[in-house]
Amino acid sequence: MASSELDIVSAFVEGAPPGELADVIADIKALTVSSPDTISQLGPAFEKYNEEQFVTVKLPGGSQHVIVSSYNSLGDGRYYDVESSSSFAFNHSTQKASAVQSHVLESSHSDLVKSLLKSLGAHVKEHYPNASYGVYPIEDDSKLAILVAANKYSPNNFWNGRWRSLYIYSPSSSSLEGSIKVDVHYYEDGNVRLLTSKPVSASISSDSATSIVREIAVAEKKYQEEINRGFSNLSEGAFKGLRRQLPITRQKIEWDKIAGYKLGQDIGGGSSRR
Amino acid sequence: MSEVDQFDSALDLLRRLNPRETSKHLDSLISLVPSLTEDLLSSVDQPLTIARCRKTGRDYLLCDYNRDGDSYRSPWSGEFETPLGGSGPGGVDDQGNNEGAGEGAVPSERVRKMEIRANEAFDVYRELYYEGGVSSVYFWNLDDGFAGVVLLKKEVAPPSGKSQGSWDSIHVFEAVDRARTAHYKLTSTVILSLATGNDNLGEMDLSGNMTRQIESDLPVEDDTSHIANIGKLVEDMELKMRNLLQEVYFGKAKDVVGDLRSLGPLTEANREKATHQEMINSMKR
Repeated sequence: MASSELDIVSAFVEGAPPGELADVIADIKALTVSSPDTISQLGPAFEKYNEEQFVTVKLPGGSQHVIVSSYNSLGDGRYYDVESSSSFAFNHSTQKASAVQSHVLESSHSDLVKSLLKSLGAHVKEHYPNASYGVYPIEDDSKLAILVAANKYSPNNFWNGRWRSLYIYSPSSSSLEGSIKVDVHYYEDGNVRLLTSKPVSASISSDSATSIVREIAVAEKKYQEEINRGFSNLSEGAFKGLRRQLPITRQKIEWDKIAGYKLGQDIGGGSSRR
Repeated sequence: MSEVDQFDSALDLLRRLNPRETSKHLDSLISLVPSLTEDLLSSVDQPLTIARCRKTGRDYLLCDYNRDGDSYRSPWSGEFETPLGGSGPGGVDDQGNNEGAGEGAVPSERVRKMEIRANEAFDVYRELYYEGGVSSVYFWNLDDGFAGVVLLKKEVAPPSGKSQGSWDSIHVFEAVDRARTAHYKLTSTVILSLATGNDNLGEMDLSGNMTRQIESDLPVEDDTSHIANIGKLVEDMELKMRNLLQEVYFGKAKDVVGDLRSLGPLTEANREKATHQEMINSMKR
């Protein structure tokens, strides 16, 4: 398969809506039937997708879903989870975990990681009906990545959604930098997508897990209120400005008389603006 | 695997990938499976392009139904706009260029007369409902009647904020003549793209498309009746679809965000739910 073709199908993978990667793969399979080795070349695209989307997976024998991301990658397709002190192999094309082993966190911040997980767990439980979270030391143990991934899939009702929060906490500067992204797909007799992205930054007054999570809670609450405002602004602004529900006369058009309508006169209020 | 399956897979993929980028995905699909080109171009709706009629100076809309090769027929002049698109009968140029609707894009004299009237009528409709924008109507002949497409496009970018939006309506219909009535089949797609952003919100994009179909038998006295019938069908359909879009964009999508993350504490919400349930249970006793 030519590299441009691989670029095309890789872009399809990257654009898969929450919970629909398997459907997108099935479509790609059908479309590349003349080059059957395509799927086998998509490994890097699947890996990128899963890591960027904070895909969650249930470990064999476990009850919780854990996150797959570049921040908890051990290389060679293995990832780790702090709370269950385990590592696992992750198949990026089937999105299944296997080969669970014990994994002990080695970090100079391990106490902070554990107290963050506790505070974050309480926060997540209070605001997310179905979410996974994780805290991982990154960049040579100099910073901590704090992740929240909430998914809700309802393919029978033709919608799926995902909320992703990422915060990088830097103990040396007591600063929090990150982003929140929301992705909602509705596809009954159509295709409607909500995509949002917002950078977050905050400074933390005291170096404790509770104050870090408090800042996160404040940022997320504020952001969710902003999204709700965004919905009303778009509804009241752009949407209303595109097409009226009824003409200014509040009446439907009398089509039998349409030839007699004169723009800007008989129909009152019809402007000559083009 | 047959081409029909590949076609279905291509449509399924377009139903999943970001609708804001349908045109880009369509190009990708065509380069991936060139044999699907014509089928995809004639069945996938894309945001409409605006052109200016050379003869009348009025804006009109481009789609596959008024296309012949690289040229498009203006509804205002009735003529193809570039020499390449074929000045010959049926829009076939001297190189036999006859892609898109091709010669099918040129209606007979009777149908062109109706097309002119329909363009005038939908120009009024556009002004009443859109207060701006561009409309175009294209008709073509069928063996047992005629068919057409009604196109409407409007874009807004309020100067006050960073929000912007675009609306594209594509109504494809068939009118099959019967005794004193006609059978109409209408397939309507609205492509609605909205975006807003600021420092507190970041970027927010809410885009998509929805398609609906109806069939209807309506009385026909003469050719004027057709314009009125099609007008009513499109007007009713757009009202229905505007309500549907409002529900999905500002109701459903917002609800899903609320399902992902609860603004208020869940323990409180659950407690209230439990209390409520208890009350209901005690009333049953």
